[in-house]
Amino acid sequence: MSALAGTRPAARRPAIGRLRPRFRRRELGLLALVALALLAGSLSLGWERAGRPELAGGGLLAIYLGTLALVHLGQVLAGRRTDQVLLPVVGLLGGIGLLMMIRLPQDLVQQSFGGASLGLAQAQLIWLVLALVVAGSLAIVVRNDTWLRLYKYTWAAAGIALLLATFVLGRNTNGATLDIRLGPVSGQPSELLKVILVIFLAAYLSENRPLLAERSWLVGPFRLPPLPYLIPMIAMWAIAILIVVVQRDLGAALLFFAVFLLLLYVATGRGLYVVLGLLAFVAGSYVAYRLFGVVRERFDVWLDPWATAQGSGYQVVQALYAFGRGGLLGTGLGAGLPSVGGQIPLPEVHTDMVFAALGEELGLVGILGVLGLYLVILERGLRIAASAADDFRALLATGLTLVVAVQALVIAAGNLKLIPLTGITLPFVSYGGSSLLANALVVGLLLALSDRGVEPPPPPRAPGGRLARLADRGAR
Amino acid sequence: MTIGGSSASHRPVGPNVVRVALALVVAFAALAAGAGYWQVFQAAPLSSAPDNPAVVAAARNVVRGRILDRGGRVLASNVPAAGGGAYRAYADASIAPLIGYASSLYGTAGLERAYNAQLTGLQTGDPVADALRKFQATPDDPADLTLSLSLPLQQKAVALLGADRGSVVMLDPSTGEVLAMASTPTYDASAIADPATARAAWAAVQANAGHPLLDRAIQGLYVPGSVFKIVTSLAALGSGAITPSTTYPQQPGAERSGLVISGYRVVDGHHLFTGNTALDFTQAIEVSCNIYFALTGLAVGGAGLAAEAGRLGFGSPLPFDLPTAASQVTSGGGNFGGGFKDPVELANAAYGQAEVLVTPLQMALVAAAVANDGVVMTPHLVTSLTTRAGVRTVNPSPWRDVATPVVANEVKTAMEQAVESQWGHYFTAGAAVPGIPTAGKTGTAQLGGSGEPNSWFIGFAPVDHPAVAIAVVIEGGGSGLRAAALAGELMTYDLKGLGS
Repeated sequence: MSALAGTRPAARRPAIGRLRPRFRRRELGLLALVALALLAGSLSLGWERAGRPELAGGGLLAIYLGTLALVHLGQVLAGRRTDQVLLPVVGLLGGIGLLMMIRLPQDLVQQSFGGASLGLAQAQLIWLVLALVVAGSLAIVVRNDTWLRLYKYTWAAAGIALLLATFVLGRNTNGATLDIRLGPVSGQPSELLKVILVIFLAAYLSENRPLLAERSWLVGPFRLPPLPYLIPMIAMWAIAILIVVVQRDLGAALLFFAVFLLLLYVATGRGLYVVLGLLAFVAGSYVAYRLFGVVRERFDVWLDPWATAQGSGYQVVQALYAFGRGGLLGTGLGAGLPSVGGQIPLPEVHTDMVFAALGEELGLVGILGVLGLYLVILERGLRIAASAADDFRALLATGLTLVVAVQALVIAAGNLKLIPLTGITLPFVSYGGSSLLANALVVGLLLALSDRGVEPPPPPRAPGGRLARLADRGAR
Repeated sequence: MTIGGSSASHRPVGPNVVRVALALVVAFAALAAGAGYWQVFQAAPLSSAPDNPAVVAAARNVVRGRILDRGGRVLASNVPAAGGGAYRAYADASIAPLIGYASSLYGTAGLERAYNAQLTGLQTGDPVADALRKFQATPDDPADLTLSLSLPLQQKAVALLGADRGSVVMLDPSTGEVLAMASTPTYDASAIADPATARAAWAAVQANAGHPLLDRAIQGLYVPGSVFKIVTSLAALGSGAITPSTTYPQQPGAERSGLVISGYRVVDGHHLFTGNTALDFTQAIEVSCNIYFALTGLAVGGAGLAAEAGRLGFGSPLPFDLPTAASQVTSGGGNFGGGFKDPVELANAAYGQAEVLVTPLQMALVAAAVANDGVVMTPHLVTSLTTRAGVRTVNPSPWRDVATPVVANEVKTAMEQAVESQWGHYFTAGAAVPGIPTAGKTGTAQLGGSGEPNSWFIGFAPVDHPAVAIAVVIEGGGSGLRAAALAGELMTYDLKGLGS
């Protein structure tokens, strides 16, 4: 084997037992920066609170940074050539979220977890650790995508079953049925559904791409898309939207719709689909405005929140006040969100409105940084898509990336009163287990897909193949 | 019917991905712009909004800054409360609708509300200082407000209004500084601020049929009657629709029977003096000829009249320290130009009836525009804010250029004649300041129904170098004579050096 320019022979890598670790210097360097930034934030918060330099929530932060380090170590040992930027970026976003949860009143959440009663930051830390472990494990374990692409209708059915379960087991919060509760753990199925939807769409679109992109149906002078081929996909999408609308989860509906349209465009390159989709969106919005009080109220609040500043517009007005108080540089962590009568004036500050809280305490500079982090995720994800080996992987990577980027857009724009406010989390930052775990699936799959495409299935000669060895070890 | 795509060629998705990426980058840029809009451009108004929790929280803990008049007389100060803290006390009732109150029970009103953030020290009004302040040990720095208001003048204005409901606005036309801004009836703001008497005082104010909490000077909307002819004059002379020598041949004849416009009859009451004279512009102002201005309004056209009024501030709230109601020349919706319905509405509006509604501050600005050679200075009340960090002065600034000096001077001459000439004397004499040339215009605003008309006067003095411009309205005060006399007495009080 000759070492030609630019190619590094695999045999040169040091081997520890059967593992072939591959050092990830870039990831390690970026993670060190993340740790520094988070420690600085913790110091700033502690100083503001105690009046002297000390770390706020130091123990929680240490556990979090330790988990990040372990996940990094796992990637090193696994030896895959996967993306080295995603983990630090997601780690920083999660860490900013954790700092905010440390800063907010702990009684916003009371979660019992294995007998112990946990406050906001402790509960968030547990979800973050689980999420990092899930993402890291997927990045190592997923090497074959047939199980994703072959069983697309099974995935679709599972997703719909999951949503239907919310009707049976659901709890009603703020006029929307979002949670299902199983024993001590409750979750929001729409978060998981968005990942399942993307897998289904990617599989379906990649399979039917030539038909969708190039066939036309001539009706008189009009070239229409081949509608029959779109039906299964639209049906899947319509069922999802319908259920979401019936449950009044407008944020998820908007997210699904946007991701659906964008993926359809990426697969077919046909602007007509986007135009038709936007027309359908306008019509649907109008119908929803006429039919549903919730939609009408959100829309009216968006147009003039000050008209109902003490009623339905309260949350939006308070968010704008928070942005205004933050100004260019922010108040500093812990110095904003003035409480009147012991209450923080921003309802849902730890979930839907966390972006406004960041805007107040970190200022315009801070939230531009946060938006920049999402742009990095967007860039990395779409880069993975563009260099993917086949259509399914490209579409899957695109869809997964869009889910994160569009969700961040929808809630941040809602907080800033650029679009009507819909209840949805800020990915990786907001409090909430379902959201963190679903986004961990996204990150884990993206990392796995970034391994120059997933390796082809092992050839039959493979008693020495790595998968076989792993299976072998598992059997022992 | 179905035609297959010819090739099974497989175009890569790469370019599509790039386009989607670009679209999302644009969306994120829009987000960044939105955040910048709220956090930089709107930061000051948002942070000083009276119901902003930071303002509310600060107001509970901070000893508010004082409010002083132009002579340093204390208008609002703090009284130590029995159980710690402090509550507000005010100089007297004459300033109540303007200054408002700050009460632990009933919140804030008036200037106390508009400047809550500055009075509680949450904002200095200087963005750089505000940004740096958070690094200081004691960030709160309540500001003392100094007003252009003169307390003696204000008291005199309220005393002259007496038991009548009405309003007086007096300002310096060359700076826009408000010298007096009275609204009657007034109320006892100190009693509302004092926790011991707050409930009874609040109940009394609420029960008063005269609505004392309403600041008539900026929130009261009145039919202006003939004082609005000054707006029509500026529009007509400015657009060239008339010159000072314009006469209407049909006018003298129409005086006896009324001028018929589309079946509506415009009437006058001055032909006893003017007989068969065809009036020119100055004479028409002197005797306040409705027919002359009805014809002039039609000559200008609805769009021209509405445009000039818009330049003077009609149609939207005025730039001022306190929220103002928007004056109007028409309720709008018509398609006869400028929102007028038809020639009848336009003709009636031209002499201040129909759907014309004005605030006293707006009419004071009209007088000030004529007095100041066509330049309206931004009206303001707060002249400086004093904090530990220093004094921030609010300098006079021009707001709008509404007429050329030539046109302003033509109107000025006519308004002087209205007060000083033989004909005008019958209507406006009371406004004259002894020994000082005075200009002005009365109004008798018919309200429909059987009630007494509102009495109006706007004017300024001295004519050559105006030091004051004034608007007076007295609800149910009858003809303009009553308002003119009040204005004359108040301007005399001020110009003779008693009111400063």
